[in-house]
Amino acid sequence: MDASLLTVQPASPEPIYRQIVEQLRRLIAGGQLGAGDALPSVREVAGFHAINPMTVSRAYSLAETEGLLERLRGKGMVVANTSRSSQTEARRLALLEPSLQALVRQTRELELPAGLVLRRLTTLLGEDQ
Amino acid sequence: MSAVRQAREVTAIAPLAVRGLVHCYEGSNVLTGLDLTVQQGSVLGLIGRNGAGKSTLIRAMLGLLQPLSGSAFVFGEPALKLGDRNKERLAYVPQQPEALAWLTAQQMLDYVGRFYPRWDQAFASRTLERWQIQPNKLLAKLSPGERQRVDLIRALASQPELLVLDEPAAALDPVARRELLREIALRAGESGTTVLFSTHIVSDLERVASEVAFLHEGKLLMQCTVDETKERYGRLWLPGQIGYAAPAHSLSRRRHDDGSLSLVVERDAQGRWPEAASLPGARVDALGLEDLFVEIAE
Repeated sequence: MDASLLTVQPASPEPIYRQIVEQLRRLIAGGQLGAGDALPSVREVAGFHAINPMTVSRAYSLAETEGLLERLRGKGMVVANTSRSSQTEARRLALLEPSLQALVRQTRELELPAGLVLRRLTTLLGEDQ
Repeated sequence: MSAVRQAREVTAIAPLAVRGLVHCYEGSNVLTGLDLTVQQGSVLGLIGRNGAGKSTLIRAMLGLLQPLSGSAFVFGEPALKLGDRNKERLAYVPQQPEALAWLTAQQMLDYVGRFYPRWDQAFASRTLERWQIQPNKLLAKLSPGERQRVDLIRALASQPELLVLDEPAAALDPVARRELLREIALRAGESGTTVLFSTHIVSDLERVASEVAFLHEGKLLMQCTVDETKERYGRLWLPGQIGYAAPAHSLSRRRHDDGSLSLVVERDAQGRWPEAASLPGARVDALGLEDLFVEIAE
């Protein structure tokens, strides 16, 4: 994997280390990163994005604790063996939760009927397949 | 251990520490009793509005101006009587460098390089070219931005243990700015360089800083890690009819024309927002550093 695969938005209210973990989670859940794939070193990520290396270390450690990554001697961080299989449908759905919550909030703010939004969502999901 | 001894030990190891700093210009208070410590290896970003006193604070921290009262220490040594040995360990880039204007950029770098035991000549030459400075032009003839770029090269090439930059971003285009941030980030991470920089470009700070300090009306409003700041503070919005439930303690409070209220609130030790946040109609929004700063500095 290349450091440019990650995107960092420093001005977002979400801390950068969380942005990184979130993207790793998606890349792994979506299959773009497979078990055993090597991650770029802390230095590469920090250098490419001009961010503090401690932020990258923190992201990697959190991802390791969550079982997404494992530290291999001599190879650095790689995608953990178990990570893809442990991504049950329920867990992948949980990744969508923040976006769904935001959608619900905006639907209420706009005072739109739920049925209308659901129909549109169904169409969008259908088109995508 | 007594509190006094403890305080002394802390200042002895921190690259920068100031206590009770007070300063004023022509009757207007700039610093009003300010305490700040920059620990070894940390990258502290100092934000403040124009005229908030960022440059004054930096100069006082380094012993370049004598404050009305209060004390400043650099590597544990009183900043006003800093010895050569500790001077070698630090590099400071002012907003408008003026020293050695009668030399060319190349001559200046060759000259000052001799004073630094760890001078990186290759870095100096390489960066002079990358940052498009004509090496044989007199410093006096360079634009203020170019002058500051040369001074940044001087500071970085000396491989300091403590790097202090006053508004470094102003002189750089986006590409060079990113390069500077990369240098700061990697040096802090790999060599343990301590960095203090002031800026009004908050996203620069969010990239590389490990800590942020808000300077406002002569005081530090807060000093904590960038991540913690983002996770701990939020904007609570309450519609007018439940405005009465607003928590008594908040960092800022604004009433809008429609009667609704915006407050900057803080999570408690258990990570919960104030009770009012769970009332129907209430809403908590996460805040980026820039929004947070604007909310509390207004």
